[in-house]
Amino acid sequence: MASRSRIILSLIISFSAIHASEAEVSSAGRNFFENKIRPALETHCYECHAASSEKVGGKLLLDTREGTLTGGESGTAIVAGDPDGSLLVQALRWEHDLEMPPETPIPEAVLLDFIQWVKMGAPDPRSGKSIQLAGRQYEEQALWSFKPLTNPTPPEFENADWSRDPIDLFVHHGIETMGLSAVDVAPPEMLIRRLHYDLTGLPPTYDRVREFRSNCQDNRQLAIEELVDDLLASPGFGERWGRHWLDVARFAESNGNDGLSRNPSFPHAWRYRDYVIDAFNSDTPYDRFLTEQIAGDLISADSPKQRDRQLVATGFLALGAKPAKAMNNNFAMDVVADQIDAIGTGILGLSIACARCHDHKFDPIPTRDYYAMAGFFTSTETLWGVAAHEKLTAPVTDLHVLESTPHVPPPADFKETVVNMDLAKGVPKPIPKSKWKSGTPLAMGVRDRKKPADCKVNLKGDAKKLGESIPRGIPTAYEFGPEVSITNRSSGRLELAKWLTDPSHPHTSRVMVNRIWMHLFGRGIVGTPDDFGVYGERPTHPELLDHLATRFVEDGWSIKRLIRSIVLTRTYQLSSFASQAAFQSDPENRWLARHSRRRRDAESLRDSILNASGNLDVSRPSGSIIRHRDILINIAGASLHQPSNHRSVYLCYLRNSPPPELAAFDLPAFIKPASKRETSTIPGQGLFLYNNPFVIEQAGQLSQKVRESSRKTTSRILSAYQMTLNRDPNPEELYRAQELIRQVQSESNSEPLAWTCLCQALLTTSEFRYID
Amino acid sequence: MIPFSRRRLLQSASCGFGYLAFSGLARADLSNRPAPFRARAKRVIFLCMSGGPAQLDTFDYKPQTGKKPHPGSVYDFSQHGESGLWISELMPETARHADKLCLLNGMHADTGIHAQSFLQLHTGDRLRERPSLGSWINYGLGTENQNLPGFISLNTSRPSVYSSSFLPSIYTGTPIGTNGENMARATIENVTSNHLSNTAKRKQLDFVQYMNREHQAIRTGDRDLEGVIQSMELGYRMQASAPDLLDLSGESKATLNRYRVGQQSEPAGTCRLSDFGRQCLLARRFSEAGVRFVEVNHGSWDQHKNHRRDLEANCRATDAPVAALLEDLDQRGLLEDTLVIWGGEFGRPGLTLGDGKDSTGHNANGFTFWLAGGGVKAGHVHGSTNETGARAVTGKMHFRDLHATVMHLMGLASEDLTFQHAGREHRLTGPEGGKVAKEILA
Repeated sequence: MASRSRIILSLIISFSAIHASEAEVSSAGRNFFENKIRPALETHCYECHAASSEKVGGKLLLDTREGTLTGGESGTAIVAGDPDGSLLVQALRWEHDLEMPPETPIPEAVLLDFIQWVKMGAPDPRSGKSIQLAGRQYEEQALWSFKPLTNPTPPEFENADWSRDPIDLFVHHGIETMGLSAVDVAPPEMLIRRLHYDLTGLPPTYDRVREFRSNCQDNRQLAIEELVDDLLASPGFGERWGRHWLDVARFAESNGNDGLSRNPSFPHAWRYRDYVIDAFNSDTPYDRFLTEQIAGDLISADSPKQRDRQLVATGFLALGAKPAKAMNNNFAMDVVADQIDAIGTGILGLSIACARCHDHKFDPIPTRDYYAMAGFFTSTETLWGVAAHEKLTAPVTDLHVLESTPHVPPPADFKETVVNMDLAKGVPKPIPKSKWKSGTPLAMGVRDRKKPADCKVNLKGDAKKLGESIPRGIPTAYEFGPEVSITNRSSGRLELAKWLTDPSHPHTSRVMVNRIWMHLFGRGIVGTPDDFGVYGERPTHPELLDHLATRFVEDGWSIKRLIRSIVLTRTYQLSSFASQAAFQSDPENRWLARHSRRRRDAESLRDSILNASGNLDVSRPSGSIIRHRDILINIAGASLHQPSNHRSVYLCYLRNSPPPELAAFDLPAFIKPASKRETSTIPGQGLFLYNNPFVIEQAGQLSQKVRESSRKTTSRILSAYQMTLNRDPNPEELYRAQELIRQVQSESNSEPLAWTCLCQALLTTSEFRYID
Repeated sequence: MIPFSRRRLLQSASCGFGYLAFSGLARADLSNRPAPFRARAKRVIFLCMSGGPAQLDTFDYKPQTGKKPHPGSVYDFSQHGESGLWISELMPETARHADKLCLLNGMHADTGIHAQSFLQLHTGDRLRERPSLGSWINYGLGTENQNLPGFISLNTSRPSVYSSSFLPSIYTGTPIGTNGENMARATIENVTSNHLSNTAKRKQLDFVQYMNREHQAIRTGDRDLEGVIQSMELGYRMQASAPDLLDLSGESKATLNRYRVGQQSEPAGTCRLSDFGRQCLLARRFSEAGVRFVEVNHGSWDQHKNHRRDLEANCRATDAPVAALLEDLDQRGLLEDTLVIWGGEFGRPGLTLGDGKDSTGHNANGFTFWLAGGGVKAGHVHGSTNETGARAVTGKMHFRDLHATVMHLMGLASEDLTFQHAGREHRLTGPEGGKVAKEILA
């Protein structure tokens, strides 16, 4: 404990020192430094001019404010306000004897940044001192995310009409500082499509767009509020936002390849999926939501039904991908590593799991901290079930038996069609009988072991080489909140949950509000949403991030209310149209002077296609197609998927065999928490839209509806546009669509085929696939 | 007062792509274009050995010196070919092609963290998503076959290693299969359908592209939308050529056998079932068809425990297919302008004979790559590590130097091939730049 208090003390001292120095730097100055100067220093100068350099060139240190101001052997580096008189600028210009960096001059644009910066008085928010944490030196900014949450006062802005919320003030300030200007607000038809996508993942109907446009003419703000409340209350909200969380929870319905090409199903995992969707729809406070997932088995419940829900929630800790047990002494600790990663990366945005074999290479997480956390999970029994009775993959475990959930036995005609051959005997392996009566409601999850105990350090991650025992506890780098004391009567998961959801926790709320922001804007305030550590990105708007986090916690950790506040801001409602110059000066849209155009994700694209064809079934299917299959799916995975008209979130997310209707559009692997989807643009996506049977089938059914709508070609084309793009075609489009119909019909001699061709084309357009 | 500073002089002297990029014209098409400098190689096959292959038991022979046992090679090595290259007993088939290889024994990297070093090997950057080597080369040269992507990554890992990042997305790698899964099942999905005739499909695409261009025209500055238009076009053209290329039924039994297609029967430890032979054969077919950059993946070579068992399995799974690829390229006259690259994100420290240990870790301070064909010296060794193989001592090459050298062989200058993004000029070799290993040029 003594060492920990010292670390805390030194942090407090250094942080207060920083606050004093930071006060001297204006927010604009800091932004300029953080976004233009710091990256350039890191890229071009630190190799030779930082404390970490092998040999410091010319005794000049550029990695602290003090060093930069003092200069090196050649004298003072910077004369604030006077670029021409500053040695640093002269060196970067390559004009005199001193030519830096030595091999190649820096790009002109970067040079101009340095000149501008010196003109501004060389504002530099870095502290002169570095911080000692977990036995390592840190430049203070590197540990920004460990600093206590603040509640910053929004910057002032005289144009009161522009701002609708303090959020707008923070954003506007950034736009102004960077010399950009915000675009106008989005027209109603753009905004309603965006709101529908962001809040439910589904497109609006043509009629709803028209109605909204007319409501906006009466009272725009009121119309928007009504729409937003309506969408937040719809079941589609939980289906979209629940899916975002399922990515974080690395949710999947099979184990994935265990390394020996075996992939057992998780037939009960779907209950966790439904739990998550329901939690978002009922706006379960985020602190409660986390507590249920980490320690739902340890907290009291008002009813048996609630008890079942909480047990299902603990599936969060059980449904990770496991490596084979065969010849693997570390199997049990591999399971623990996944659980620590679910907490670390999934909730805290910190790769604590990296410290399993050695102290974290960058972040202040020593190996001791890892094993302090591991103790929570080694004191916990993880219930994943029978793992297809394949002992070489994972030993059989118990499961939670749900008390108040209906029994659903397999249908009378159910027959297991997936067989695994016994290679030695050349016959199918028999499917072992389950110990539970067929149809028993079971759930994956965790429960405390009878004898909770601390965990010993596994030297270099080897479970056979044990070091000292580490008392269960939280990472030492945290300076806030009460001490966590763990008794020997329980695993300590509940205490862990309490600590994670402490209102002053610097990571839990920041990480979550950042993810919410990312899903609404396409980019987080911190661009690396799962890494708030030393090597993650710094926030573009640190004050806004803290404002949101503080507001989130004070507002009872309500996700719906936070989303509502954000989508009602002017910032959210800006148009995504901007000039070429605006795109060039801020290609990633870090400063939000416009809204970012986004591609529909895999689920939303499929749902939108089903919606257009009129086939979308918005009801929740019962369970999962594999609920009665406790088997190795291995290569059978692809054949298990069945056509479905339900929303994509209810498809069967098998690891290594993702739903084929989604696979082309950047699904994660569901092996690690991953809140951010990639958005690649590859020809395989075009091939999916041209040739996938699902797309062809839906285009066919859409064309049937279109043909039934009228006998006139032009009216039909109008219908087709309305059903897919929620608008009417312009005259040129109408003409070209008529031509396409005419040509294909005369060539194929088939009217239905011609309309299918047009309908498929509309589902393929960028306009259908992108959200302005 | 000198009228021109050196900076300005350098700027005006740099021509070609740097200038092009500076003027804000981002070239986004795959048409084949002449290399600005002498091109020794026209295409690349990158045999990416993920996980960190143990160089001391494959290509960097470290016999015991002195009296005290020290880490080194624990397998037998012998000299091969006229060049007398030392190659381990674990690579008997590759060894038959010793006179085609150029060993780079002085490789070194910044970090022993897999994900970061793997990303740096591909993109030059350890942390951020940046364009991959294959994307840069396609940006510079386009590709020979307009009906196929210019960059294909077989049994690949995550998208960030084949991403075009801020380069136009037409240069993104097309993935086929996933590392860790069996290549026998991997294909390009959805490559054909017969619900519409080819004429109707073309008319349909023309209509879609009209809509897409109109959509893009009023959304100025959005490069993603241009990427969509181009990838839709390329996807359309792939329907005609990709199915034939993926279909191995026309290959003779002898060929399939030489490549060991479908013959890897057992996974062992870190060595997954991957049908590496199929990948190598596909790589040859894609290269022949004019794909500029093909990456072939095998892994994992990250054998910590059971080092010997897993290393043997990895060598067994890859040795014959690699040899078959070299043989075919040579026989078909392709090797002279196809650059083959073999290597992973770092190497491993050596085992010590007789100490009973069978586990290794990561070593980024010294490891081996090899090159073949494409205008590099054949039967040549460049660079070396110290007597325990722990660190590179001569002919040191960083990934940046490797990238610069590969580009040089392709007739590109890594310092000139730049792209303007977010107010900066970016290039593959970063601000530090890479040094061309002139010593290995044939």
